[in-house]
Amino acid sequence: MGEAIVITSGKGGVGKTTTTANLGTALALQGKKVCLVDTDIGLRNLDVVLGLENRIIYDLVDVVEGRCKPHQALVKDKRVDEKLFLLPAAQTTDKNAVTTEQMKSLIEELKREFDYVLIDCPAGIEQGYRNAVAGADSAIVVTTPEISAVRDADRIIGLLEQEEMAPPKLIINRIRKNMMDAGDTMDITEVTTHLSIDLLGIIIDSEDVISSSNKGEPIVMDPNNKASLGYRNIARRILGESVPLMTLEEQPKGFFAKFKSMFTK
Amino acid sequence: MMKKALVHIKGTKDGLILHLDDQCAYTELVEELRRKVTDGGIDGKLEVQLHLGKRYCTKEQQHQLIDVVEHESTMQVSKIVSEVLTIEESQEQIIANKCETYVGIVRSGQVLRSTGDIIIIGDVNPNGRVEAGGNIYILGKLKGIAHAGKAGNQQAIITAALFAPTHILIAEKVATMSNEQKFVLQHREQLCAYLNSDGEISYSHVQDIRKLRPALNTFKGGS
Repeated sequence: MGEAIVITSGKGGVGKTTTTANLGTALALQGKKVCLVDTDIGLRNLDVVLGLENRIIYDLVDVVEGRCKPHQALVKDKRVDEKLFLLPAAQTTDKNAVTTEQMKSLIEELKREFDYVLIDCPAGIEQGYRNAVAGADSAIVVTTPEISAVRDADRIIGLLEQEEMAPPKLIINRIRKNMMDAGDTMDITEVTTHLSIDLLGIIIDSEDVISSSNKGEPIVMDPNNKASLGYRNIARRILGESVPLMTLEEQPKGFFAKFKSMFTK
Repeated sequence: MMKKALVHIKGTKDGLILHLDDQCAYTELVEELRRKVTDGGIDGKLEVQLHLGKRYCTKEQQHQLIDVVEHESTMQVSKIVSEVLTIEESQEQIIANKCETYVGIVRSGQVLRSTGDIIIIGDVNPNGRVEAGGNIYILGKLKGIAHAGKAGNQQAIITAALFAPTHILIAEKVATMSNEQKFVLQHREQLCAYLNSDGEISYSHVQDIRKLRPALNTFKGGS
């Protein structure tokens, strides 16, 4: 029996879908069988971020309405052999097409077959949110160090604490060291004391995240990227390893690298 | 046989007191009261108290007794004293004086309500709201909205270990924490909010509550 984790944030655009795609891929790379479920019905894009858009045949609404079996709708990611699957959302209807009961039994069924079921939650706290949370055993709240995102995360945590699930855990996404040092954004301790839930990990902001999702290739596939390392660390923590929080400090450059950087910009 | 007087008039330094018998029938009592107040030979406006003893009178009956006194004579009833309380009234009093404890964080969008006092062991985050019929004591940070004395209690206070709310409400008064609240901006720690003698929301250190609201102290003795 696997574990179902919902990835949510309240506010839109903080990186729920990117986090779902990357954590799912990272867990699959660690050898776990993972199913990603996109519950953003009507505004799906987890398939795009994973580059699986053109392989969709059936979707989540087809499954809950009985037009196909769950395994028929699952799209396999060939880059991670037989480990990573996506259940795409429907695009032609809206979030009211599915009830919380239907979601519960669907997630229950998927948990029997997979080690991890990651549920990508839509923004907001309406029906889409309730569907996404319905079948989950635990929750990950994604926020950025912006006040607006932290406020919405606070609201979502309040709602999650009323659900019957493990206490939610926090990911702080898109951290910019220079802005944090200058006091232009909240720093990590400010965010964690304000929300007072356990920190699961931090992701350093990187432009490569955008370019890689445009290419349909999750950033965790690149082993040398800082954001990628953040996601890999989080995946290891989910698996129960204790991994220290990465430092924000840049590695001191060697003499030759310094010399080289003088000539390249 | 001499019938026992059902209404006794007694003069005290607080004015006249009418002791009404609590064993006889209610109708007899009303008749007796009417007789007593009409032939009492009392002139001029005079304040009296009605003591009902252990008789329970409904609100309507109390009004009837006041009517009898005030219509048939020049006397005015200042108050009615009774030694009995219904279960309902006593429970209302218990609920209003109850102190509830909440351990946790009041997060954005959450509303915590209590009819009596409330102690919060934790924070009140922005857009979180606490409403109490009595006082609000926050042992953590108050960064949201607090409403004390919701049913109109002007004596209610709000205290917080770190006082950084967006709105403060006491009884019907509202204060927004704009830049003009200099005292609050400069002294965030261990503050309390209360209604001053002009009925305006004011702020002070928690150490001053002893002087501002001495009635809050229920602790007797100490060495």
